[in-house]
Amino acid sequence: MKDQLTEAFVSTKAIFRDGGLVIDAPAGARNAALSNRFYFYLMMPAIIVLAAITLYPFFWLIYMSLHTVDLGLADDTWNNLKNWTRLGRDRKFQEGWWLLLKYSSLCMFFEVTLGVMIALILNRSRYEKILVTIFLMPMMMAPVIAGLVWYYMYNSTFGWYHWLMQSLGILGDKSILGSSSTAMIGIVMVDIWQWTPLIILIVLAGLKRVPRDQLEANMVDGAGDIRNFFQVTLPNLYPFLLIAILLRFMDNFRFIDAILVLTGGGPANSTKILPTYLFDVSFSFFKLGRGAAIALTLLAVTIVLGMILVRVFERPSSTRSNSGGT
Amino acid sequence: MASISIKSVWKYYGDTPAVKDLNLECLDGEFVCILGPSGCGKSSTMRMLAGLEHITAGDILFNDKRINDLPPKDRNLAMVFENYALYPHKSVYDNMANALKIQKVDKATIDKKVKWAAELLELSPLLDRKPLELSGGQKQRCAIGRAIVREPELFLFDEPIAHLDAKLRAHMRSELKIMQRRLKTTMIYVTHDQLEALSMADRIAVMRDGVLQQVGTPSEIYNQPANQWVAGFIGEPAMNFLDCSLTESNGHLHLSHNAFSFALNAEHIAKLNGSAKEHSQVHMGIRPEHVTISARATPEHPIKGEVLVTELLGGDLLVEANVNDTRVTIKTDPDYIADMGDTCYLGMDTSRWHLFERESGVSLI
Repeated sequence: MKDQLTEAFVSTKAIFRDGGLVIDAPAGARNAALSNRFYFYLMMPAIIVLAAITLYPFFWLIYMSLHTVDLGLADDTWNNLKNWTRLGRDRKFQEGWWLLLKYSSLCMFFEVTLGVMIALILNRSRYEKILVTIFLMPMMMAPVIAGLVWYYMYNSTFGWYHWLMQSLGILGDKSILGSSSTAMIGIVMVDIWQWTPLIILIVLAGLKRVPRDQLEANMVDGAGDIRNFFQVTLPNLYPFLLIAILLRFMDNFRFIDAILVLTGGGPANSTKILPTYLFDVSFSFFKLGRGAAIALTLLAVTIVLGMILVRVFERPSSTRSNSGGT
Repeated sequence: MASISIKSVWKYYGDTPAVKDLNLECLDGEFVCILGPSGCGKSSTMRMLAGLEHITAGDILFNDKRINDLPPKDRNLAMVFENYALYPHKSVYDNMANALKIQKVDKATIDKKVKWAAELLELSPLLDRKPLELSGGQKQRCAIGRAIVREPELFLFDEPIAHLDAKLRAHMRSELKIMQRRLKTTMIYVTHDQLEALSMADRIAVMRDGVLQQVGTPSEIYNQPANQWVAGFIGEPAMNFLDCSLTESNGHLHLSHNAFSFALNAEHIAKLNGSAKEHSQVHMGIRPEHVTISARATPEHPIKGEVLVTELLGGDLLVEANVNDTRVTIKTDPDYIADMGDTCYLGMDTSRWHLFERESGVSLI
């Protein structure tokens, strides 16, 4: 939202500068300055609200991470960065990071692959609109409900998924969530089921924007469908995949609801990805200071990853069309 | 190199016909322009040639071989698109090398061909750039480069210079013509710009509403238009059309307008071939450069008119005159001095007029 506002700001400026509206330059400049201030006033309420709900809690979080916070029973006390130094020795914290990365990468890989493939099929289908609506249904479900539904499907006594896998000889008597070697697969599948539709939706939007003449030029150059996909469609999809991956990354880093319902982090901590551990520390053990420190590491890594992704994908050529112009 | 024949080709989009019963031959090494206003079916024709569009009915033959069902990649042709359609994520070099890479040509040969094309198109210093970093003219040359490195049997150009500015367009016209002469490759060029067609093509095919109107050399199209529509479409400023009738008096055929009357000479009558009776209502067409103007009435300038407006176009002066409520445009020397409302006298070069049947627009003379 903030970005959009800044963008609106910049583009209004550009209209005044480049739009040819300005005949008398000094007067135009005065006008521009005036209007900019006017727009700034218009944005003030939004800026104040944003500051209140994002900036204040953010600084409060930093404060907490530096103190021992005792939920109001005693005063917060400065503890010489103990919250932070302890993280270095915290095996569960490190394990949590490793599991989170494993979980996110698995989800991302399958969701993007499946999402792109399904979007490609839907894009050519005559019944695209109906099919998209159907495919979007999992996404509309609350994650906790999705977790519950799958919890029952995975159930080793009456879950049909378990029955199916057992009949095929893939699973034994134990539920997929019951063994520390397979539980991760179980929660990944739920995520894939629920969030692949988002990728489909975004990629479909991207596919509509792939310039047809580039596809045709490549066909005339001698490319078949597969080569055309990798040489033209995929590069033109990069910005859209970036949006999708970024969104999913951020989601995964605060993902907790379905896991709490499905495994609660078990068995034997095999699905205790960092956000789940963070939940334990803050709201089971009520170590709010330590929780704040863990949350800040998550935030920092999210920001860094986001920046890397933007850098990787933001090749100017892939975000703009090259048609027309002199 | 390829000769192309288009035989009774139809193209329907749903129930809407875009190309109707098109027949066109293109000889080996020939430069053919398909000319027409937007929506005339010229681009559909080109896309059918490229294999990007299904042919509803009829056949297209390359070297007498039917290619209707061949996919684009098997037709050995290269196409330059209106918006260039360069691959934005690839460098100029890779854009040009793309087709050869697909054909699995070895690297050294690719390099040689791309460098040759870059040399020809003066793109050598730009080979590492991305399309976004190129100007319009450079993008366009890159698109042409991508086409010529393949040494295809047929070039298809879809309004490739429509987006360039006027000066660059004039330059590219001659460049393209020189290039085609040098490569001796059959070329089909689609455009709505008559100037491009007249200046470059060996032959022009004029289309309108999906129907081929006339095929001929630029001078045939300009001097002997097949019908009134072609006559009006080709030429800038456009041809003058005057409502006339053919009348007979004293055994002589006359072309009569409400402001003048001319006796037809033997040559005209021979061309009319006795059909004057059925076609008594005609449009007389004459190009602005074949009307002469004078301030005084002379035997050569018998038609009286009134100057409406003058436009100086550097080397030429356009005068618009009112002749008994018909507007006539005259192209003359810039030294002719006239003001609005002045009386003027016009003469018409009777060897250069055209007569069109008023109803159908078919050319009579």
